[in-house]
Order: sequence, then C-alpha cells, then structure tokens
Amino acid sequence: MAPEKDLKEILGKLQYSDDAKVIQQITEQMKQVQARMTGIRYKLVVMSGKGGVGKSMTTVNLALALARLGNKVGVLDVDLNGPCVPRMLGMHGLSLTMTSQGATPPFGPLGVKVASMDFFLSAASPVRWKGPMDLSPVWLGVMEMNVIREFLADTAWGELDYLLADLPPGAAADKPPVIAGFIPDLAGAIVVTTPSEVASDVVQKSVTYARDMGIKVLGMVENMSQYRCPACGVESELFEGNTDALCEALNIPLLGRIPFDRTLARTFDKGEPLLDPAYPTIKRYQEIAERVVALVDYRKVLAQKL
Amino acid sequence: MKFVCLNCETYMSFEKVEKPAEGSLGVFFGCPSCGAKFSMVTNPGETQMVSSLGVKLGGRTEAAEPFEMTRETLKDEALAGSGQMAAYLNEKIHGGQPVAATGAPGSGKEGEKSGGGCPFSAMVAEMGLTTGGKAASGITGASEFTWSVDAKEKLDRLPAFVKPMVQSSVEAYARKQGYKTITLQVMDDSKNDSSSGLTWSREAEQRLENIPDFIRPMARKEIERIAKERGVATITAQVMDEAKDKFMKLM
Repeated sequence: MAPEKDLKEILGKLQYSDDAKVIQQITEQMKQVQARMTGIRYKLVVMSGKGGVGKSMTTVNLALALARLGNKVGVLDVDLNGPCVPRMLGMHGLSLTMTSQGATPPFGPLGVKVASMDFFLSAASPVRWKGPMDLSPVWLGVMEMNVIREFLADTAWGELDYLLADLPPGAAADKPPVIAGFIPDLAGAIVVTTPSEVASDVVQKSVTYARDMGIKVLGMVENMSQYRCPACGVESELFEGNTDALCEALNIPLLGRIPFDRTLARTFDKGEPLLDPAYPTIKRYQEIAERVVALVDYRKVLAQKL
Repeated sequence: MKFVCLNCETYMSFEKVEKPAEGSLGVFFGCPSCGAKFSMVTNPGETQMVSSLGVKLGGRTEAAEPFEMTRETLKDEALAGSGQMAAYLNEKIHGGQPVAATGAPGSGKEGEKSGGGCPFSAMVAEMGLTTGGKAASGITGASEFTWSVDAKEKLDRLPAFVKPMVQSSVEAYARKQGYKTITLQVMDDSKNDSSSGLTWSREAEQRLENIPDFIRPMARKEIERIAKERGVATITAQVMDEAKDKFMKLM
C-alpha cells in the first residue's frame, strides 16, 4: 500500500493549468456577447416585478412605435418558458436562420427583427430540456441562463438603433436583473406596472433591486390604466391604485398610460397586430416611444435646454 | 477539475472525452510521468452541469454553431438522460417515486393568452380589485417628529405601499435640517433635497425646470454627478453652465 501523502504539500509544488479549457471558453463566451452587441446603438430592457401586467404587449408596441419613427428595431423575447412575442406579431412558425455568422432573426411587421425561444418550439410544445432537470431546479437555472447567454451571443442582429429585451417577471435576486446585467452598455430599463396596489408593491421592489445592480431605470409605463368598453365606449377604472405616487416616491418619470383596449389586444392575440398609427391607443404608445428616444439621448436635451 | 498522480506527485494530463452512454461522459487522464491512465465517468447530473455551461471539455477544435447548446439540449420526445444512471439518481433522490409533474412551463403568461373574451380577465380576476390608493391612516411606526395636521393629511392620502418610503425620506430630511415638526413646507423642501448631500440654488432649480419633466430626474442626477466631480457643495448657475458645456461637447 502506498504511503499517505500530503496533498496540500504536493499541490504547493505544482503549477495549475486549465487543461479542460473551461474558464477560457466561458471568457470567450462573454466576449462574444460583447462583440455581438456592438452594432446596436441602444439596448433597453422591459421589465416588471409582477407577471401579467403586459410587458410583452408594451415591448412589441414600443418596438413598432420606434420603427414608425424610422429606427431599425429588434425584439429579444427573453421569456424562455412563455415566449409570446412571435405569436403577437404574427411570426409564430418562423425560425432563426442558422449561418456560420450566427443566427439571423426573421423580420416582423414594420421590419422589426425578433429572436425568441418560440422559434425553437413546435406548436403547443412547452420548453423541455434533456437531462435530469426534474431532479433539481439548480440544473434548470444554470441551463436557462446559458440559453439566454446564447440568445445574446449568437443572434446576428446586424446594425440596430434599438434592441428591446422583453424580460420574464421577477422582482429581486431572480433572473431579470441578472439578465439585464448580461447585456453590455445597457441604455436602461422601462418598467411596466398596472395601477394596482399588488403590482405596484412588487414593481417598487424590482426597481430598487435593478438600481442596486446599477441598471438605469428610464421610466414607468402604466398599463391597463382604464378599460374602454368596446360596446359603449365608456372608460372605467380597472384598479384604484396610484402610479403617480409610486413614480414620485421612486423618483422616476411616468412615461405614459395605456388603457386596456380589448380591440387592440385581440388583434395581437390573433397574430394580426393593429398597426394603424391613427388608432388612439397606438398614438399613446407612440408618445411613450418618443419619450424613450429623448431619454436615451438625454444629454442632447440637456445641451439644448439647460 | 484536475487529478493528481500521488505516486509521481504531478497533475495528470487531460487526454480525451468519450460518450460511453446517453447522459454520461468518460473523461480520460494520464500521468505524464509514470503513464498510469484512468477515466472519470459522469452521471447525468454531472454531464448536465458541463453541458449547461456551454463548454466542451478539453477545448474546442471548431467554433460553436449558433445556439449549439440550446439546440442540443432542447428535448425532443425521446427521454434523453434516462437509463441506468438516471434511474439510480431517481432512486437515491426520490426513493424511486415518480417525480411530481412541474406543470407546463411553456403555457404562456397569465393574462396574455389567446382565446375569446377579455384576454386579461383571468389576470384581473387573479389580482382582484384592490383597495389600492386608500392608505392606512396614521404615521407608520413611532415617529420622533411632530407632524402638522395638513402634512399628516397629505401623507395619509398616499397609497399604503408608498407611505413608509415617503415618511422615511421626509423624516431623514427633517433630521438632517434639525427640524422637530414636519409641515407641508418641509415635505415640499424634502423633495428637492438631494440624497447626494448637495444643495441646489434657486436659480439652478429654475433652470432645471426648462428640462421636460420626464427627463428631469435623470438630469438632476447627472448634474449632481458633475458637481461632485468638481468638488462643489452647491449647484449654482455656474455649475449648470459647466454642465451644459460638457453636454454640448458630447454632441
């Protein structure tokens, strides 16, 4: 039997080398994300602590509004388990084109490019991964973050004025702020809420956490501010919250209010989005997009008006 | 991960990776000194960890294909990772009991489902119409300050979820200024108080009003950053001029 040896002493004499090249590859992966994003002028994330407040609806309509202003726009649907951007834009069934230069995203309405997990799934299939994911959620978490890393590193967006990332819900030490941290030179976050106390409470936490992570919060969009009855046209309050007070307390601007518009929502549900710039709710998205344009280039405004 | 040949007191060299079974990797090492060889075999969980990092053990000989990891790891209907090792892990972790279904993660966000009727009705029903905006009455917690009646009324009009944050901010300002009573004026002044500890002159405040309201919070932060860089305690018209010059140069 071999005599006992002191491993600590042995290791002290040896020079470590990364034979398996794991660290080297992870470093290269992050460099690739950086390189892929260089052609994009402004990178924005659309987030909310609360689910179901209409982040995706806000994202796609802001993307369309920015495209109407003459910008080249991309939408990255980061909600891996509930990707709905392609469906809303009538792009369900399309796919990314794989080339040696990367994955080219398909074009949607008004020339908006889209990358989404939906493009990897067949109809009605949920996202399921190989491996023993059901044994531990830890493996699933690592896998999902790395899939998001691939979306950032491998999608060949080309030259874009704006890339909007539709983040999944989550408030604090969860995916959204971490995903945002993946994106180099992030121009800022647009936060979506509804005027409900439940939503505002969670959104408030997500804003605080995002700021802790060094993410610049550009402003808040209040979705479902009212409900417009499609039959009689009367507008009613859906909730009784106070988004103004929330924005004042957080010291962030309220970028605009969007009513719950069943007519508009149904067109997106059917994948035949209403694009008429004269439509009242679309006009409101357009106003918000113009504010976002001013905010990402706020130094220009300060130079002119200070 | 490294292995040490204890006889030769040296690191063993990584040699190659093979896939002996579905969900398993065989990683081969050899001692450069005595030539001893061995293979480390991974179970599906360990294989998954390596795969999830999107790396190839030993480095790549070819550049990664776009979405390589996503495409390779997305499950088709075949149950990859099953077999003896998966069964072994299942036995060890779950005592051989079937793992509870985790639901359908891809079934879409609540409230954004397609279908007839109001698409958001399920979400609205789930959230319920809250009493948002109707704040609980009274000052939150024991306060060291006396709140005037009108200031307290203004605080009480705030939604419950905002009130503690506003109360804390106003009281911090009052403490800093040495006030014992919080009036409406103190509340208003606290809004202009900078958390950076800087003071704004009236003229500088007026010039800030020229900026559209939705850009003002960002403008305030940016100007305060410039003032701090210059080491000034009060933001005056001169600081505003310097800030403007700086922004002009960036255009």
